[in-house]
Amino acid sequence: MNSKHSSSAAIPDHQPSTTEKVIAFLDERLGLKEMQAKMLNEPIPGGSRWAYVFGSVLLFIFIMQAVTGTLLMFYYVPTADHAYDSTQYIIHNVDYGWFLLSYHFWGSSAMVVCVFAHMSQVFLWGAYKKPRELLWLVGLALFGIVITFGFTGYLLPWDQRAFWATLVGVEILDKTPVIGDFIARFLKGGATPGQMTLSRFFVLHVMILPAALMALAGLHLFLFRVAAPAGPFRGTKEEIKAKTDYFFPRQIWKDIVGMAFVFVGICALALWEPVVLLDKATPDPGEYHPEPEWYFLFYFQLLRLKLFAGQFGQFLGAVALPVAFMVLLVALPFIDKDPERNIFKRPIALITWIAIMVVIALFTVAAVINREFLD
Amino acid sequence: MLQPKLKSKVRCTDLDIGEVTRVVLDPLSHEISHIVVSMNGSGERQVAMGHVQDVTDDAVQLRTRSADILSLPPFKREDYVTTHEVEISHLEDNIHVTPGEVLVPLPDLEKDVKRRTFFMNFTHVIGFLIGLPIAYPILRFLMQPMYADFDNQWLKVGNVSKIKQEDVGVQFKYKKAVKEVYMPVYEIEKNVWILRATPELLERVYQGKDSEFRDARGKAIWTNKKEVPYIAFSGKCPHLGCGFKWRQHKTLGQVFLCPCHLSIYDAGGKVLDGPAPRSLDALPIKVSAGGEVEIIDMEFKAGTKSQIRIV
Repeated sequence: MNSKHSSSAAIPDHQPSTTEKVIAFLDERLGLKEMQAKMLNEPIPGGSRWAYVFGSVLLFIFIMQAVTGTLLMFYYVPTADHAYDSTQYIIHNVDYGWFLLSYHFWGSSAMVVCVFAHMSQVFLWGAYKKPRELLWLVGLALFGIVITFGFTGYLLPWDQRAFWATLVGVEILDKTPVIGDFIARFLKGGATPGQMTLSRFFVLHVMILPAALMALAGLHLFLFRVAAPAGPFRGTKEEIKAKTDYFFPRQIWKDIVGMAFVFVGICALALWEPVVLLDKATPDPGEYHPEPEWYFLFYFQLLRLKLFAGQFGQFLGAVALPVAFMVLLVALPFIDKDPERNIFKRPIALITWIAIMVVIALFTVAAVINREFLD
Repeated sequence: MLQPKLKSKVRCTDLDIGEVTRVVLDPLSHEISHIVVSMNGSGERQVAMGHVQDVTDDAVQLRTRSADILSLPPFKREDYVTTHEVEISHLEDNIHVTPGEVLVPLPDLEKDVKRRTFFMNFTHVIGFLIGLPIAYPILRFLMQPMYADFDNQWLKVGNVSKIKQEDVGVQFKYKKAVKEVYMPVYEIEKNVWILRATPELLERVYQGKDSEFRDARGKAIWTNKKEVPYIAFSGKCPHLGCGFKWRQHKTLGQVFLCPCHLSIYDAGGKVLDGPAPRSLDALPIKVSAGGEVEIIDMEFKAGTKSQIRIV
């Protein structure tokens, strides 16, 4: 085998500058150049594509959420008597507070959209199949974390929207058989939402979930590198090999353009639709009609169905349906062992995906239409 | 699979041409695709494994003439990266090009240690024993505020003179002082729906029986008498806990409607439509001679068929 350092042992044609000396000093001790080479020289079977940007974009969104979230904590106070006022202070008094808060708010929506795109893509490309089952499972755990992030963060401004979304969300968890009451009280820190709920959601949102997300995202990347990218589902080995390139530069270029696009999109939303709080949280909704965040609207509408009426119906809608869906997703790579990855040769997968999309779209639209009949 | 070794002599059909300096791996099959031969001073050539006839411990036999190898283009190092510089998992798994195993001697102290498994398990047991005694305190620490006694005090919510019509839901808003753990006492706004019921509605709601309320230990704390014409409903929807309203419905007339999941109840609290699993929750109510209304602010678990009090 080649000596490890042969590639970097070129004869210098000039006196090394101070920067070069510092880099050489670090490289000698840390092996940075080799590490960088390994990071960048990852073969992408079939070549780089715009379709592959979502993973990197998600990492970017998360970093921006961490940055803006940390900044918000400089002013935010997680107590029932100050959470609302401190959030209003961020919006109205702190320079660019409205922008950072709105960026954080819309960033969470962007995260859900990209997670959704990322998962759909893996599903349609058949990339969850052997040998990438573990990658898929860790991805599902990350999906759960992203949703929990959205749910816990929603309470923190302590306005009416926050209060009622949390109240109803926790009531849904309460419908879990046997342990539901415990889970609900554990999350709320009591029988009704209050200071203890805010403290718990805050700790989840700023400590536990970020730590879990970083650990699992690291594992996700590691598993991705071990298993290697799946590549396109069409083409012979030779065709794929002929088009293969490395992660750098073409894919990184596409990724950074994707990130810039998402950044501009989130900024635009923050500018055009900055966060405006409703009244301070209190157990009297007044004229407010409680509603969850837009990406939960379809589920909200689903729970209005007669099918999910009564205690048993509620168990079906609030527990059995989401749990069954997640169990199916977890079991997917173990049920579907057919190595065929071409989505056009997997009719059940294609039809299922389309059906789910149609249900989500229809029920979201129905929820929006229903709004006007309520006033 | 042929495993040419580094430093092996390379022989053509006519003569020795040099030695193996590198091997090239196929990133897809993970197998050796080429050897790189240093041509005894005439540069390096990249020779496909197809040319290799046989591999012995120290030599590689080609099935080609030396002139053919020499006529191949020179090897271009810059077209390759080393296996350390690329991220392809398991790339070297089935390559055995190094001459034999690379070994490091064990330190003297490690040479006669017998019970490695025992020590490994012992480490796990001690770790477990450290974790065990803190698990219960952690659980209790987190559970501390979860269960609290019920508060059965009467709260003034307003005067019945506000009610103009019978069998019509009227919302009474009231403030409740809350003392939660270390927090200063603060007020929250709540609401309760109160009706002055006609005898027919009273009969439907009470069905001839007084309604008794008990505390957590089963002791009776109040009885709503069936002949008192005032009924109070908790403002919390028994479906999933939203706040419902008194609304005009296209076909059902005046009803209680919850805007969340569209549960609909009649003036007596009975479910007319929507997903709610039980009727609205009636609360203990007393009305003084002057019309002042007092209630006990109870809350019940949403989503269950039976009433389970939680506050």
